[in-house]
Amino acid sequence: MSTELSAPGRLGGTLGAIAVPARMRATMLRRSLREHPGPTVAGLVGLLAAAWLIRYALRGDQHTLGLLAGAWVLGWIVLPLLLGGGRGRVRPAHLRLEPIGGIPAAVGPAVSLVALAALPVHAARYGAVAVLVTAGGAVLLWLLGLIGSAIALEVVGHAGGPAGALLTGVFTGTAMGVAGSLWAVFPWVSVLLVAAPEEVVRAMAYVPSAWPLSAVTGPTGQGARLTATLVGIVALCAAAYIMLVRRVIATGVPFRPRRTTALPLVRRGGDDLAARRGTTAASPAEDGQAQRGWRAWVPAATRAVVGRELRAWTRHPLRLQYLAFAVVYAALLAGLPLLSDVDLLLPWAGPLAVLGVAAMSAGLVGLDGTALWLPLTTPGGERAEVRGRALAWLVLVTPIGVLLAVAGVILAPDVDPLAALSTLPALLGAGASVPVWVSLLRVRPVADPRHPTAADNPTDIVSVLVATAAGLLATAPVLALVIWGPSEVAPLLPLVGLLGGAAAWWGGVWLADERLARRGTTVLAAAGQRSRPPETVLPLTWDLQWCRENTSTAWALGLLTVGWIPVIPQGLMPLAFGIDSGWIVAGHLSGSAHTAMGLAMVGLGVAMLLTGLVLWDRRPQPGGS
Amino acid sequence: MTVERRAAPPDKVTYARRVIPPALEIRGLVKTFAAHRAVDGIDLTVHPGTFHGIVGPNGAGKSTTIGMAVGLVTPDSGQIRILGHDALRDRRQTRALTGVLPDGLDFPERLTGAELLRYSAGLRGLPRATATDRAAELIDVLGLTKGAGTPLADCSTGTRKKLGLAQALLHAPRLLVLDEPFEAVDPVSTATIRQVLRRFVAGGGTCVLSTHSMLLVEQMCDEVTVIHQGRVVAAGSVAEVAAGRSLEDRFVELVGAEASGSAGLAWLTGAR
Repeated sequence: MSTELSAPGRLGGTLGAIAVPARMRATMLRRSLREHPGPTVAGLVGLLAAAWLIRYALRGDQHTLGLLAGAWVLGWIVLPLLLGGGRGRVRPAHLRLEPIGGIPAAVGPAVSLVALAALPVHAARYGAVAVLVTAGGAVLLWLLGLIGSAIALEVVGHAGGPAGALLTGVFTGTAMGVAGSLWAVFPWVSVLLVAAPEEVVRAMAYVPSAWPLSAVTGPTGQGARLTATLVGIVALCAAAYIMLVRRVIATGVPFRPRRTTALPLVRRGGDDLAARRGTTAASPAEDGQAQRGWRAWVPAATRAVVGRELRAWTRHPLRLQYLAFAVVYAALLAGLPLLSDVDLLLPWAGPLAVLGVAAMSAGLVGLDGTALWLPLTTPGGERAEVRGRALAWLVLVTPIGVLLAVAGVILAPDVDPLAALSTLPALLGAGASVPVWVSLLRVRPVADPRHPTAADNPTDIVSVLVATAAGLLATAPVLALVIWGPSEVAPLLPLVGLLGGAAAWWGGVWLADERLARRGTTVLAAAGQRSRPPETVLPLTWDLQWCRENTSTAWALGLLTVGWIPVIPQGLMPLAFGIDSGWIVAGHLSGSAHTAMGLAMVGLGVAMLLTGLVLWDRRPQPGGS
Repeated sequence: MTVERRAAPPDKVTYARRVIPPALEIRGLVKTFAAHRAVDGIDLTVHPGTFHGIVGPNGAGKSTTIGMAVGLVTPDSGQIRILGHDALRDRRQTRALTGVLPDGLDFPERLTGAELLRYSAGLRGLPRATATDRAAELIDVLGLTKGAGTPLADCSTGTRKKLGLAQALLHAPRLLVLDEPFEAVDPVSTATIRQVLRRFVAGGGTCVLSTHSMLLVEQMCDEVTVIHQGRVVAAGSVAEVAAGRSLEDRFVELVGAEASGSAGLAWLTGAR
């Protein structure tokens, strides 16, 4: 069958050539916005924030405004790394003859321009010239954000190189840490919004975002100097970006240094093969005294896995990101209350960090793809794999936990650190081993283990909760003794923590051993299952029909939502903190009945949560049979 | 479907049969994925000191069979013996005797090639000096100098194959099981690998490899097994299975597919 197309007129053809692609692009954009409303929502939220900033500029403090404008520009540079910008922006493939589109891509710059208009608005009180000068400065800051964001995406964003991963982890950890300590941060922010403290004012002299306003409020001559410096910084950034783009186009690869120096092969008898090839030899630490010690009692196969894991921890972008996130989050959660003169949590920075890293390690097997085949084809490889992973985690996290804990103790000399320090070994024991078991039990492979991005998250909430719960369980004896035990047992707390950690280590390793020895091929098959089943779509409004069709999922959601009530307000609050307000059932009882009711409530809540987790895990997948 | 077996194997095979147990012996192997029976009662014997090719169309069950033989896939039923040891029960012993290069599986991607070899040697408990010497030699021989210093995530498919082969050889196994070892490997490296494998077999080792290249099987293998739809449709020496024709033509005939491509596509040759 042949199809004969009617020949259009010249004008009609030209119009059609324009109209059809335009209509297609409009349709694509409409569908994209409907299916991916992220940019629209982000744009609206950004506009609201920009409006607030302009309103603040009308009456607010000059230095605080400079600080806020700087935070805005910095956020603009860093935020795209967290929102799917993980693969770089410019690639040779993009230089095809296709129209440049993307209203969503223009949302950020447009909203930022509106937000930075707050600077000339504030300068209006100093006259028209001041408005013009500050507007120029605002545009320069805007350009700085625009170019900085592009550079950040190219340099640190591609495939989540180590720097980008660390940055992302620090940023998300900071955001979560601040969000978790709002009660402590708010009073300080309130003070800042009224008038910046003296130390902030002094520091702002070196922050470019303060310069547009300083240019019009400072002494004569300072304005020209500050503006010229700002222009210079923008020009430097622009030059750097142009060089970067030229490099990407010329070499066909984004900016990412290749590792070419790791050829640690040295022949016996001093024939340095690596040197012969012009590459560096093994690190001296390989044969160093430090490794000789643990070589004696760790089997060679386990040592090999430890070495592999430690290299992965320092090189894998997502592992670095998780590590940085957990450490920063814990440090801020424990440290930010200092803003409100609360130092009670400082010694807990170490245990919190250890718990956080454990939770973030609950999906590491999936992150490695099907690399598990190597130990599965090696004699005794399963045991080595489990122990090596756990040991490497311990080697990596123990110094972090100890350092943070010690720093907390030093910074808060008036707080009794015994409870925090005693939970540390328990958390380390559980954190090293249980996540290995969890990640073998619930393998969620990433799409591309070779070049993962921040979007590849191999952990799910159930794995995180199980790993966290194991840590809490290991610390339970210590916490129980701290809360209910006689003061005479206090010297025994570190020993109890150590025993809890040892028991958790043994239990976790045993479970993981069993899993890998008996179901190794199942784990490997799951790790190779790259296409995930579609996620259950949850209704955001009350939908009775959906609840009828998804009974188990609805029950799971209900139990996971309500289960916390018996655990925390009805159980832990009266038991641990003695809070017995009217609606707390245990509060109406006394003595052993009070304790029994509290414990019963905790048990009830835990049972509800576990049932919820089981139901959630077994929820039917859409499209599944 | 009948299995064609022919008598009179070559002298080397006959000798090996008499003296040593089969390097790999598979009986009644079955594997089903959901409703799909990937391997349907395969019997396979690989004699020691030989090159054995496993060929079959895509999805025939070659990789699943190899995966079960080396313990990466659990069979539903059947028996596997490696050099006289029960591979499903005595895993420690059979793993020690076997070197494996699977197809399409990941490596520890953050390690460089040299680090992969050291890791693999460590897993197998090789003395450090031995491991260092062997790894250096393998890197030299297989032309892996660049790959040795590059993270595996950034290595080409060919380099990954060669590194995979190097780690499979590192502990000097007696049975080498290679799934598509020459895929994406350049001709020069292919010649090198073939030479290395020939020396391995000449030294008494046994090599089982799956491939799509009939030419390679004809040039390298003593015996060949043709698998189609999860079953063995022909097995024996290469000459016997080829039955006087080219192995490729015989293979196409055995798997029941006509070599299409001679009809249609008139527009491709300019005819309208």
